[in-house]
Formats: sequence, C-alpha cells, structure tokens
Amino acid sequence: MAGALVSFHDVAVGYDGTPVLEGLSLEVHPGDCLALLGPNGCGKSTILKTMAGIVPSLHGTISSTLDGRPVRFGYVPQQETLDLAFPMTAAEVVEMGTCGGLPPGRHVGRVEREGALQCLEQVGAAELHGRLFHALSGGQKQRVLVARALAAEPDLLLLDEPLSGIDAPTSGAILALLGRLNREQSLTIVLVTHHLGGVREVIREAIWVHAGKLLRGPASTMLARHQVITIIEEDFLS
Amino acid sequence: MSLLLEILSPDFLLRNALYGGLIIGFVAPLVGVYLVGRRMVFLGVALPQVSTAGVAGAFFWHALFHQHEHHEGDFWLALSGSTVFTLAAIVGLAVWESRSRARVEERTGVLYAFAAALSLLLVASDRIAEIGILGLLKGEIIAIPTDELLVLAAGYAVIVAALWFFKKDLLLVSADRDLARSFGKKVLAWDLLLYLIIGTTISLGVLLVGPLVMFGFLIVPPLIAGRLTRGIRHLSLAASLVGGLTAFTGFAVAYRLDWPLGPTDVALACVVLALVVAAQTVVGWFRRAS
Repeated sequence: MAGALVSFHDVAVGYDGTPVLEGLSLEVHPGDCLALLGPNGCGKSTILKTMAGIVPSLHGTISSTLDGRPVRFGYVPQQETLDLAFPMTAAEVVEMGTCGGLPPGRHVGRVEREGALQCLEQVGAAELHGRLFHALSGGQKQRVLVARALAAEPDLLLLDEPLSGIDAPTSGAILALLGRLNREQSLTIVLVTHHLGGVREVIREAIWVHAGKLLRGPASTMLARHQVITIIEEDFLS
Repeated sequence: MSLLLEILSPDFLLRNALYGGLIIGFVAPLVGVYLVGRRMVFLGVALPQVSTAGVAGAFFWHALFHQHEHHEGDFWLALSGSTVFTLAAIVGLAVWESRSRARVEERTGVLYAFAAALSLLLVASDRIAEIGILGLLKGEIIAIPTDELLVLAAGYAVIVAALWFFKKDLLLVSADRDLARSFGKKVLAWDLLLYLIIGTTISLGVLLVGPLVMFGFLIVPPLIAGRLTRGIRHLSLAASLVGGLTAFTGFAVAYRLDWPLGPTDVALACVVLALVVAAQTVVGWFRRAS
C-alpha cells in the first residue's frame, strides 16, 4: 500500500543471526497510533528496534521513506535500560535528540537548546531542565526521554514500554500527552506496552504478537483478545 | 613566590619537563572523560601498561636484531612500539568483544595482567638493561628533549582539535548507542575514531610520563570535575583545568621537596579528589541538618 511510513515485507528480526520472529509483514501509516502487545520475550521490543534501525533485520525488506527522504524516528527506550554514566542534565539529554539532524562538526547551538527547552515544556517538564538526569524519578525520566524523542522532530515516535516502573497518575499524564500529540499534531506513534487499561483510551489499533505471528485489528478488539488469552495462559496453562 | 618565579623563568633548566607535564595534564583528562563516561576506567589502566610493554618490546626487538647502542632514534623506536601495541590491543579488544561473551572487565583484566608481565619480563632481560631504557619506562619526566616535547605538543593539538570537532557525535555514541543508531549514525566508525584518539593519547603520553601518571591524568581529573560541575557542557573544560593545575602544582611540590614528579602528580590529584569528596559529604550533612 502506498504512503506507508514504514513497511516490513517478509522480515526476520533477531540478534546475532538468531531469529526471534520471521516472515513479518506490516505497515505503519502517517497518523497511526498503535500498540504492540504480547507476552514477555515474544519480540515486541525487537520489532520496535528493527523499525528504528537500532537492530538490523536478518531477512526481508524494510522501507522507511517519506516524501523521498528517510523517515525521522523519535525513539524512547525502556528507561531502566538507559544507563547514563555521563553527568548530564535533563536539558542536555533532550539536546541529544537534536543531534540526528546536525552534520559532523556542527555543535548543538542556541537554536537547538531553545528547541530542547520547548520540548521539555511540551511534556510538562520544563522545571527539570537543570537537574541531573540520573537523579530524577522514573516518571520524570520518562517525560525527559519523550521530550528527547520530540526534539528529533520525528515523523514516527517509537516508545518501548513507556509506562513501566511509573505510578498511575504519571502513566495517565504520559498517555494523555501521547494522545494529544497524535490527535493535534498528527504524530504517528507505535508503542510497546503491557499496560492495557491505560492505552485503550489512546491507541486506535493494536498488533498482537502471538506464537510468532502478528495479528492486527482495532484496539478494543485486540486488547480484549489479548486480555482473555493472557488470563488463560497465566491462570490455567501455567 | 621565589619558587614560582624560578619555575616560570624561560631559562629554567627543567622547563621542558614542566611543559610536558602541563600538556599531558590539560589534554589527557579531555580523553579520560570518555573513559569514565563509558565505564571503561579499567581500560585507562590497561592501555598505558600495554603501551609500556610496546616500548619495551620495540627496544628488545631492536637490540635482538641490530645489537645497537643507545642513539637519538630511541624516541621514534619507542613511539613506534608504543603505538603499534596500543592500537593492536584496541583492535584486539574490539574483535574479542564481538566474538566473545566475556565481560569487558574480564577482557581488560587479562590484557592488563599480560601487558604488565610482558613489560617486566622484557625490562628484566639483559639486552634492555644494556640500552638503558628503564628510565623511559618509569616515565622520567625530568629530561625531555625539545624535539620530543614538540612531537607531544603537535600530537596532542591534533587530538584536542579532533575532540572539539567531533564532540557532539562522540558524546552521542558514547552516551546512548541506540539513539545514535536510530539517527543512522555509524556507531562502529565513531567508536574506532574514539579508540584511535585514546590510543594515540596514551602511546604519546606514556613515553614521557609512564603508565602510572598517564592513568592518573586520564581518570582522576574527570572524577574530580564530575563532582564539581553540573552537566556535561562544562565537564571537559573543568577536567582539563583540574588536570593542568594538578600538573603545575605537582611539579612545584616535587621540585621544592625533591620528590619524584610522576608519583607526586598522581598523589596530589588523589588528595584533591579526597578533599572534594570530604567537603561535599560535610556540606551534605549540614544541608540535611538545617
């Protein structure tokens, strides 16, 4: 189908030559807001990382272009996997998001700094700009990482477990922010999550990764199926 | 005051040692910031030791096949050995990393143990003793010929320029590799450039100050600066200033008290680090109490 931001055709994803999932075909279109669901270890994060170009695909074709140029990704990692040993402030972490658009030799300047501050304001974390990133709470870190992804001026926002390790009010605020970005700015969003209840209000479609297959459908249907299967697996089969 | 005037005099007999120490003191911490930030501190110990083994290896090889006496080309011979061993170790570590599940501490530990043993074995051989490079291996900072100082200054000027020009990308790749990959950056190429910078800094510096001082200037000033600054923007500058001031003060103390210069520099840097930690702990107590 024409106009897809990202399309997978018969793609195998995995690490060190060992596939986690094979024969994947999917498309993400501008304005989509979809969730990748599935049990732990099923390959949701690997799909996301392959989409972002972080992990190379093992087989198949991935195309990601928009108007003849490469798609710009805004990637939000699982916050507990980001181990910043550098003593960076929240503002400096967000400024990293601007580095993708700067050629070698060009430094982060006033324009990029102002842009980073605007992104922090957008996620309601402007007051954190001067604080050290590693001293922030889980929810504050997550806001800063979303701001960093926005600083990349992305066509597609990819979030890996954005709600893990965060209390309910903060999760709600982050989901509300994502919903607003999708509705008001038509920002395309793909997120990996286990928090089914919260995302129901935000996402429109879900891709359920189950038994090596991708099942895609309307959010409410897929979330219900996912919950039923999860209950069966956890309460009966295990 | 008279001591300072004497040291700063253009006719000061040991001025090259002072200048050499200052150059290393200012520049090595700029590289060390990346070692600390990438949690590769132990590599800062191992690589200078590898570089030292390279110096000893080069002299051993030359003595074995050429039976030569001490001559003016020793510096270049030592620089060749130091550079070849250091770069080979870096490439070897990178290959080992891609093909082995051993942790980075294990790989670096094995490298350090091997390099230290090899250095001692080569230095203990009769041939090395004949040539008399023990002083070079210990880092005799007292006698630095002007041409060697110029090589150090030129090499480190290139390193500072590269660190400045590529600062954004080196930091990005060092701080968050996944983000760099999502931007389409060639992470391996940037890693190799950084390793080349680290290797060159160490192989040049070890020739003049030895492995202990090199490690000290790579690691301790960035640790001090990290406690005194907030954020990465001023970290490198602060680390460089701390390193330069430590080198100058260490030189003055060593000259005044007739202590060995290298160990004085390192001990002084560690004392400063301890004082900073103690001061911050006390301030923390007062803040919590009030």
